[in-house]
Amino acid sequence: MFNKVSSSSPNPTAGRAKLVEDAKSASKLTREQLMELEEREKTPREKLLDTIITICPLFALVLGLAEYLLLPDCNPNPMPHMYTAVLAVLLVLYAARFALAKLQEKKGNKKAIRNLRYKAPLFTVVMLILTLYDYLTIKTNFFTYPLVPCLNSIMYAAFTDRATLIECAGHTLLLMLKGYVLGVVLGLITGITCGYSRKVNYWIDPILKFMGPIPISTWIPIIAVLSASLSGGALFIIVVGVWTAVTNASRAGVANVDKAYFDAAKILGASEAQLIFRVAIPAAMPNIMAGMTQGMMTACTAIMVAEMMGVKGGLGWYITWVKSWALYNNMFASLFIICLIFTLVTKTLNIVKKRVLRWQIGVTK
Amino acid sequence: MAVVLKLDGVSKSFARVETTDITTALTDVNLEMHSGEFISLVGTSGCGKSTMLRLIAGLIMPTTGRLTVNGEEIHGPDTSRGMMFQQHTLFPWLTVERNIAFADTMRGKAREPASRAEVDRMLKVIGLESFRNDYPAQLSGGMQQRVALARSLISKPDILLLDEPLGALDSFTRMNMQDEILNLWKENRQLVIMVTHDVDEAIYMGTRVFVMEPHPGRINNIIDIDLEYPRNRASSKFVEYRRQILDMLHFGQKVD
Repeated sequence: MFNKVSSSSPNPTAGRAKLVEDAKSASKLTREQLMELEEREKTPREKLLDTIITICPLFALVLGLAEYLLLPDCNPNPMPHMYTAVLAVLLVLYAARFALAKLQEKKGNKKAIRNLRYKAPLFTVVMLILTLYDYLTIKTNFFTYPLVPCLNSIMYAAFTDRATLIECAGHTLLLMLKGYVLGVVLGLITGITCGYSRKVNYWIDPILKFMGPIPISTWIPIIAVLSASLSGGALFIIVVGVWTAVTNASRAGVANVDKAYFDAAKILGASEAQLIFRVAIPAAMPNIMAGMTQGMMTACTAIMVAEMMGVKGGLGWYITWVKSWALYNNMFASLFIICLIFTLVTKTLNIVKKRVLRWQIGVTK
Repeated sequence: MAVVLKLDGVSKSFARVETTDITTALTDVNLEMHSGEFISLVGTSGCGKSTMLRLIAGLIMPTTGRLTVNGEEIHGPDTSRGMMFQQHTLFPWLTVERNIAFADTMRGKAREPASRAEVDRMLKVIGLESFRNDYPAQLSGGMQQRVALARSLISKPDILLLDEPLGALDSFTRMNMQDEILNLWKENRQLVIMVTHDVDEAIYMGTRVFVMEPHPGRINNIIDIDLEYPRNRASSKFVEYRRQILDMLHFGQKVD
């Protein structure tokens, strides 16, 4: 009876049989191998379906190319092959990744192919949407030209005006980072001292209560009246936004540190300063990081609002400026660049966050 | 270092949060304890066991009376008095190794070879060498308490205060840990004072058992446990001690 139960599943494939052997001999399995071993084995049909889904992005890309190259244009389209080139590069890149992943799979490493299988549906749908968009703009003029430009025109605009765009992007990034860093540093100082000392909190709390509910854009007219340089004013509203977010979060973090940690640290000889720097701050780190993420979102909004309403430079300024010249292609181009920059900035922050909060693995789900 | 810990007329009251009343947690405690002793503190909840440990640790100050170690009054926490809590209170952001080295880090000595060697030795003693780079959340409850024990022993305290250190563990892990703590104590012969809710544990480990009473918290009886280590939980003398202590705590009087 028991022997039957303990015998391995019927007819395991060769690769699986080897895994089972490895597991029995108690040699070290990798995480990947363990997951594979415990998973139900896929049927040949499921495997075929997986492969088809994984190569779907290639079909979508080919479809996009065909749609773009074969159908006639309704509107003028200078340098038409930028979009072609981008699609071609994507096609080659994906094909290469797929081939590489397949090769690794043959060697027993399934990580890459799993990853690709996971992302393939999204890639496919995004590509189909882009194709549809292209069809509705330049091919049929369903969206009115020139208000909604086709993808190639947007790329063309970004390419021709690249010098200005790069300068504007640099301007935006620099101003934002300055404001962000200043806001975070000040926010940490006030937040941590407020969380730790009631006396400081007594004085800072009313300021936070006053500043907190004021939306960022409300500051603009006041800044315009009070400040000689709007650039300085923009810096001010970013700092205020980030400072509020970081102060609130780090104050709550420090104030809610489990008292038992302080007791334990005191017993182990921690001085007053060490209690702050070695216990309160690390314990409040999850809150602090959350505040910094929120502050980053505020900073992104603040810089755009400031640049659109008065600062003479940056992508926010660029977008309003090209609008007044009816350069809709450029408008869309700067939108994409703004998206790209903010994504990059947020990603970077996330990497930092993951690194700093490594210890939380297992603490939270 | 051999030490004498004295409590002279120590009492401690707390102000209640909502009302204007005060609660007397401990009243008129007079005690003398020496290096090499293992004191077990038993009593129902609210009898001031933890308050007494926290007073000795220097985490709180007495309302009246004096606590002295070798004649010197206790003014605050000191690394010569180690403490272990019911919750492990390991710092979740530090690895096992760095948790153990925390006291050395506070003295700015964690990088010295002597400190590293001592951490290695402690890891070996608690049998967690292969977990040195793990974070506390990745360990089981028993392992966490072992690390907490190692962390409180790294600075070689003369007095070790254990506040229900094994209360949150399952009974098998608990019995193992009791022996581990006893072995460490036999090796170093410091003064150990342990709060426990478990009468068996108190008798199994202690050289003396202090039985406490609540409302207000005070020491009611002191019993010398005259048994050789390792003790047999089923021996008649052990059972007799248990009956005696349970009686003092007003349990089991109705059963003949």
